[in-house]
Amino acid sequence: MALKKLRKMLDEKEIGAVELTRRYLDKIEKTDKNVNSYITVCAESALESAKKAQELIDAGEAGAFTGLPISVKDNICTMGVKTTCASRMLEDFVPPYDATVIEKLKKDNFVMLGKTNMDEFAMGGSSQTSYFGGVKNPYDTSRVTGGSSGGAAASVAAGLCAAALGSDTGGSVRQPASFCGVTGLKPTYGAVSRWGLIAFASSLDQIGVIAESAEDTGYVLDGIYGYDANDATSSKKSYGNYTSLIGGDISKLKIGVPKEFFGDGLNDEVKTAVLRAVEYYKQLGCEIIDVSLPSLEYAVSAYYLISSAEAASNLSRFDGIKYGFRSGLGENFNDLIKNSRREGFGSEVKRRIMLGNYALCSGYYDAYYKNATRIRTQLRSEYAAIFDKCDVMLTPTAPTTAYKIGEQENDPVKMYLADIYTVTVNIAGLPAISTTCGYDSNGMPIGMSLIGRAFDEKTIIAVCDRFEKDFERKECAL
Amino acid sequence: MRYQPVIGLEIHCELQTDSKVFCTCQNEFGGSENTRVCPRCSGMPGTLPLINQNAVRLAAKAGFATDGTVNNYSAFDRKNYFYPDLPKAYQITQFDHPITTGGYITVFNGNKMRIHHIHIEEDAGKLVHDDYEGISMADYNRCGVPLIEIVTEPDFRSVEEVQDFVEKIALRLKYAGVCDARMEQGSMRVDVNISIMPVGSTEFGTRAEIKNLNSVKAIGRAIEYEINRQAEILDNGGTVIQETRRFNDNHGDTKALRSKEEAHDYRYFPEPDIPPVWLSDEDIAEIKASMPEMPQSRFKRYTEEYGLPADDANLIISSKEFSDFYDEAVKINPDYKQISNLMLVELNRNLNESEKTISDVTFSPADLAELVKMSTDGVVSKNAAKDILKIMFDKGGKPMEIAKNNGFIMDNDASEIEEIVNRVIAENADSVESYKNGNQKIFGFLMGQVIRLAGKGANPKIAKDVLTEKLK
Repeated sequence: MALKKLRKMLDEKEIGAVELTRRYLDKIEKTDKNVNSYITVCAESALESAKKAQELIDAGEAGAFTGLPISVKDNICTMGVKTTCASRMLEDFVPPYDATVIEKLKKDNFVMLGKTNMDEFAMGGSSQTSYFGGVKNPYDTSRVTGGSSGGAAASVAAGLCAAALGSDTGGSVRQPASFCGVTGLKPTYGAVSRWGLIAFASSLDQIGVIAESAEDTGYVLDGIYGYDANDATSSKKSYGNYTSLIGGDISKLKIGVPKEFFGDGLNDEVKTAVLRAVEYYKQLGCEIIDVSLPSLEYAVSAYYLISSAEAASNLSRFDGIKYGFRSGLGENFNDLIKNSRREGFGSEVKRRIMLGNYALCSGYYDAYYKNATRIRTQLRSEYAAIFDKCDVMLTPTAPTTAYKIGEQENDPVKMYLADIYTVTVNIAGLPAISTTCGYDSNGMPIGMSLIGRAFDEKTIIAVCDRFEKDFERKECAL
Repeated sequence: MRYQPVIGLEIHCELQTDSKVFCTCQNEFGGSENTRVCPRCSGMPGTLPLINQNAVRLAAKAGFATDGTVNNYSAFDRKNYFYPDLPKAYQITQFDHPITTGGYITVFNGNKMRIHHIHIEEDAGKLVHDDYEGISMADYNRCGVPLIEIVTEPDFRSVEEVQDFVEKIALRLKYAGVCDARMEQGSMRVDVNISIMPVGSTEFGTRAEIKNLNSVKAIGRAIEYEINRQAEILDNGGTVIQETRRFNDNHGDTKALRSKEEAHDYRYFPEPDIPPVWLSDEDIAEIKASMPEMPQSRFKRYTEEYGLPADDANLIISSKEFSDFYDEAVKINPDYKQISNLMLVELNRNLNESEKTISDVTFSPADLAELVKMSTDGVVSKNAAKDILKIMFDKGGKPMEIAKNNGFIMDNDASEIEEIVNRVIAENADSVESYKNGNQKIFGFLMGQVIRLAGKGANPKIAKDVLTEKLK
């Protein structure tokens, strides 16, 4: 149900906050064993928050999020609640602080239902690398949810929360949203504070929103955006009101369709559905412009070099000394951290750490990391040229729909290449939103993405909303 | 063979900021272990660094203090390595784009010792080893303390040049308020890169880096030891290997820590959590304008404009507060020499005896300037001025009031003195006789008697003239 409508129902007391939370908790208990979208369910504290929320509602002091049941990806720090990054390394880590986004929602007394499952340390596109077991797609539990915010997307798709906070480093909000038939918004880099988001790749990470609709993602973004003195990379350029263009005339907009995104490797059913969406906008009167992002072919390499290099450094702090998993083996410092890291990290995380350190080694730095940053610069200027000509860009979100669990997660190169349509947005720091634009022959959702100018989330939300209003989604099987 | 040492320095200085460089923990020395630690400086997951603007400012000042160029653009990098005192497993530093570049200090022999650059970085924690229990403990209080690293060119050719440079740069950093430069507390730490080459050669030898030097004396001893060690190797046909060595103050020797092959690959890359630092030309000009006059400039002024002897000028500039006091005083009474004398002799005597510093002095430079003027104008005698200074020092008060209340105002009435002189001559007939028989030394005794009876206000010159006249 739309957040605006839920808000109205709570405020007009058509439903009590405790009752609402209990419904979600019941559903989680009943169905999440089939999905595994949550690592931690905060039943007790959620009901407490709901009780307090009801008091605020009764006193006429409700804010936008008072009593709204929301799930939080398990790499976002929550004070007093385990924040594991789906890793053995942080299996029992309880942060003594809240992420800024949590602090903001807590001001309104939102209801945190729990912490959602994900790929370990957000590294992956399947949500199968979690130490706590993989997440299953609510449309077909034999299939993956995508990732890394697979738990977040599945929790929304299966109706196990009203909205979800995720994070997106190379597509981790948009691609699982696409696989699970929901809407995922990755804001502009700097729009949302990263304070409390356990870093994967600092220059690419951004907290995002997964919800039932574009309007809902804007609703949540309004509650979490903004400059934060605790994050030097957060920006003062955001002004909120992310849903303000919804319902306005979008027929004068120019929509860019980049040819490189429709070439080899794109599944035919996906291609057909996305081009149908292009046609939809054309029918509305939007001008469709052919654009080009020539450096797309280098984007995946650049992304994996930059993100792995930063990850290798960011994850070095996990040494088993101060917090987190500590191996029982090790006579001295070096042995202890080697064993703690060997036992505490899963294989995909280790692969990225090795890749990243390799790219940064003296002698290889120029060939790998340095060249990757050149591609970053090049991609940014190519995007700048595109947005001189059009207002939004429309692309497929992923080359395929959700595949069977076990089908390709064990082929890292294939997995990495599947990120091709999402990573450029992170490299360029732009906002993008993914929504469902069709279903394949197996009934699995197909996602398309709308990419906007930096800090222009409003436009892509409105353009996305317009499509959603005319598109009929299928309920998931669960 | 005779060898020429070639030496370069890396000097780490703790910046005198109130808080740490990337968080708001207090920046202090000492205290109980792990009491100044927060999630940020201990590198907890999800935390992010915040740049302390005052650290940037002080680092820029260090650049100005050494005649370097403060850069409009500087940026932070990560230096990655595992060590238990480094909770993030990387140090945030400036690798490619330091805050300042260039600069130099002219040492005693007129040689310019060039500075390559100065960069900002964070300090690591400390390990406390308990040999008895066989364990090591980490104290993170020092984690994130702001540092600058001053990197020189390999311009030094002698111990004396190094020591003079270190003393001079320490003084300048103190003047600029950048660092308190207390080597014994570790707020300034010097690493020495040293190689030797045959005298007359221009090709540098292989260098060793000596760490852990915590006094100017230790720097001297370490360099001497290292020159001999390397010379012995070369004389015996060996080759010096590039390595890091630790100086042991107790043994006076250096021991290898790690060789080049064991050196870390630090995998530097740009710190993504901190945007680059942009200082506009206006920012830089504003920081420059806030710099106090540096000691070397004051030295020049004191010797060339004020005519002070070099030794006196050096004594005055050895403390900024002392020099500031002097400058304030001469602004009011430009009697450079007399004010210098009174401060260097009498004021310093009082300071030494009471174990105080110039900052503890309660009277103002204006009071001191007035006192000197009273003395040179003949309002009080020179001896009285010393007494007045002591009273000002001990109890405070204005010099003129003290002079009046204690009878220090010089009496220039010759007739009064004449009476006293007559009395002294009458009462000391033996001495007068002795004087007249050629014992010149006895004059001092008679003069003393006159002053004793006349009181501290007596004008010694008049007294002397009258006594001389009467003894004829």
